[in-house]
Amino acid sequence: MFETGIRQLRMAIGMVSGRRLNAGNLGRLVGDVVATLAEFGEPGADAQQLLDGPFADPEERLEFINRSLRRTARRLAVQSPFYARRFAAAHAEPAKLDMAGLRAIPVTVKRDLVERPGNFRCTDVAGVLATRTTGTTGHPAEIWLSRYEMELWPALGALSSLLRDELRPGDVMQVNISSRATVGMHLSAAVCRLASAGCRLLGIVPPDEALDHLGGGGATLLSTCPSYLAELVTAARRRGMGPADFRLRRVATSGEILSTSLAQAACQTLGVSRVDDSFSMTEVIPVTGRTCSHAHLHHDLNSGLTELLDLQTGEPAAPGTLGTVVITPYFPYRDCMPVFRYDTRDIARCLPGEALTCELAGIPATSQVLGKADHLLSLSPAEVVTSRQLIEAIEALPTAPWPARYRAAAYGGRIQLTLPAAAIAGYGDVAAQRHFAEAGLDVDLVIVGDDQASSLRHTRSDLHETMFAAEQALIGA
Amino acid sequence: MPVTHDMPISLLQETVIELAVALVGIVAVTACALLYFRRVRLDRPPVGTFNGRDIGILLAFIIALPFLYAALPSWALTSFLALTFISALSIGYRPLLDRKWLWLGTGLLIGANIWTSRTMLGTVAGWQLWWAELSVLVALAAIAVANLYVQGGMKLRYVAWLALALGAYDVIFSSVFPLTNKLVQEFLGAPLDPSLGMRFGIDNFAIGIGDLLIFSLFAVAAYKAYGPRAARQAFGLIVVFGAFVPSLVPLLVNFVDARTDVLVPAQAFFGPAAFLCYRWMKHRYGRERTMAEYLASADGVARAAGAAEPAPAPEPASV
Repeated sequence: MFETGIRQLRMAIGMVSGRRLNAGNLGRLVGDVVATLAEFGEPGADAQQLLDGPFADPEERLEFINRSLRRTARRLAVQSPFYARRFAAAHAEPAKLDMAGLRAIPVTVKRDLVERPGNFRCTDVAGVLATRTTGTTGHPAEIWLSRYEMELWPALGALSSLLRDELRPGDVMQVNISSRATVGMHLSAAVCRLASAGCRLLGIVPPDEALDHLGGGGATLLSTCPSYLAELVTAARRRGMGPADFRLRRVATSGEILSTSLAQAACQTLGVSRVDDSFSMTEVIPVTGRTCSHAHLHHDLNSGLTELLDLQTGEPAAPGTLGTVVITPYFPYRDCMPVFRYDTRDIARCLPGEALTCELAGIPATSQVLGKADHLLSLSPAEVVTSRQLIEAIEALPTAPWPARYRAAAYGGRIQLTLPAAAIAGYGDVAAQRHFAEAGLDVDLVIVGDDQASSLRHTRSDLHETMFAAEQALIGA
Repeated sequence: MPVTHDMPISLLQETVIELAVALVGIVAVTACALLYFRRVRLDRPPVGTFNGRDIGILLAFIIALPFLYAALPSWALTSFLALTFISALSIGYRPLLDRKWLWLGTGLLIGANIWTSRTMLGTVAGWQLWWAELSVLVALAAIAVANLYVQGGMKLRYVAWLALALGAYDVIFSSVFPLTNKLVQEFLGAPLDPSLGMRFGIDNFAIGIGDLLIFSLFAVAAYKAYGPRAARQAFGLIVVFGAFVPSLVPLLVNFVDARTDVLVPAQAFFGPAAFLCYRWMKHRYGRERTMAEYLASADGVARAAGAAEPAPAPEPASV
């Protein structure tokens, strides 16, 4: 109790002062949370404030943002060759930077990271692990992490997961993301270790292999991407598996669009009450977003600034309009290869100006991610179709074609939608067109063979990892 | 009306009165602490539970306290004690009293005792008023702190170890380095002297807040860990080794060496007995219940039915 108070004080002082946090202290604080849960079954009443901060007051929030931006920019101006040049070119004064002045600094795009990765490395810290983006939307970017980051992020992750009851001591988490996503894998294992939970890192293995481990109570948590979840649900249904075959209490996805139909099917098949769909991205780690029950995406305030910028003007998106999500992770949460105003090209809609009424109302939000900016279909100056609209409609087809494989193009104010034959098998073109019309999509269907399905749209579940056990034909050859 | 004596009373009378004061104080405080535990839920911090290292910190503080008492000027000591009592009462009775009444009551109790100790200690009645104020304050503080610790996750195991360590401490600081005796004499009549007691004639009879706290902790932690039967056993142990034995020892010492000025270190008797009792309970009843298990048990449910203050609702789980 006394020690915990001192650790919390050290953490608070670190956060306020803006110096690097003591990851060891945070790790011990996670141990205190585990002990608290063992004794009381739940954290004390003010746990939420400990995590989300006292940011209900907009003025206090703005003051916090300005301080954090200045701190981050001051360091980058000295230690990051890329941002030293960028700030100088923009005539930005890091010590005086604020939300209003931020607009003078151009956003950083993925091409900058891919073409000049070395210029993003801070000169005062050594990188110990390189991780790459999955590259499903283009050439992968490489991000270096420092030892400090590798220790800090799991501690922060474990702290929030335990306090939010997303992870409990004794849980077993099965992780089905690409094994090349080294940060995700490392974080999952380290968070579970700190939280006294088990961790099974499987990767994108054949779905039946993953189901064998999930079934029979082999895991209580599943962390994966929506496309692989789709494959799991499809395989489980094929095998006649249902909620009684699993002991899952939580399924968490991120990295792709999770459709309502797939989420419902996953709940029915795997026996969970909902699928938690969060936002995270390698380039902007550790800034994340959480989806509430009203389908808003609430962005973490403590570790970074999230802006939603109009696609044409680059100014803050107006209520109701689409914008691209731009994220600045703050120092001391990002250390080795930080980005400043990183344009994720993820599209979200700015929520109407009214006050939020959801359970996370104190945290600013946008709509859920609706797709990538480059995948928007412009049917007319006033009508734009997002990837989410298409995926929602396709995955709601009675044939349950999960994950959605499609190609879409705007053609004379209509959508030319290419689907594999299996997507409408037994349903018919006419019924399918009516289905899309009911979803507000005026489409011309083009049907191709199922062998072309995966080339229509790449998903993370395409990053299959082979296993000797799955190649039975070779055994004994 | 209080009994007054012009002449010193006999050792037997002294022993009987000491026993009566100790019994009333110990039984009242321990029973109230148990009642409080059954009916009132204190707020607790988001993270943190009592562990072995906390006991070490507590012990270090207790060991340092007498030196602090001796080193501080009287105004600083009074301020320190006032702050300690204010903290204990404000935390402990926040679930029971409106903020206004809580601060008013705390202020009145502390203010009255400071005023009485400065102005009314020339008469037996004044002393008795001083003791009455102090006893209420000390009892309320002991009840609150015992609950703060046990509801904060302090296990019977830690209480037993703490009692054992305090037993050794009591022996050392009352026999080898008689600092406790010196402090008791020096601070008698000082504002907010952390003792519960009463004056009869020219004699003062008291029991320290530390003893009351350990007894309350032991009873409440035994109840939380193993239920009502264990609490009754703990209660019996407290009465025997916390009240009877320390009160009767002066008679025995007097019989042996004719001394009459014996300050009895109560924890020297209670500490080892409490530790052995805990070991026996552990052997007999097994693992201690956690606070969550206690609240989910029939004992916890019974408490909830008559709760003066409902347990704080958990924060909704975030998604």
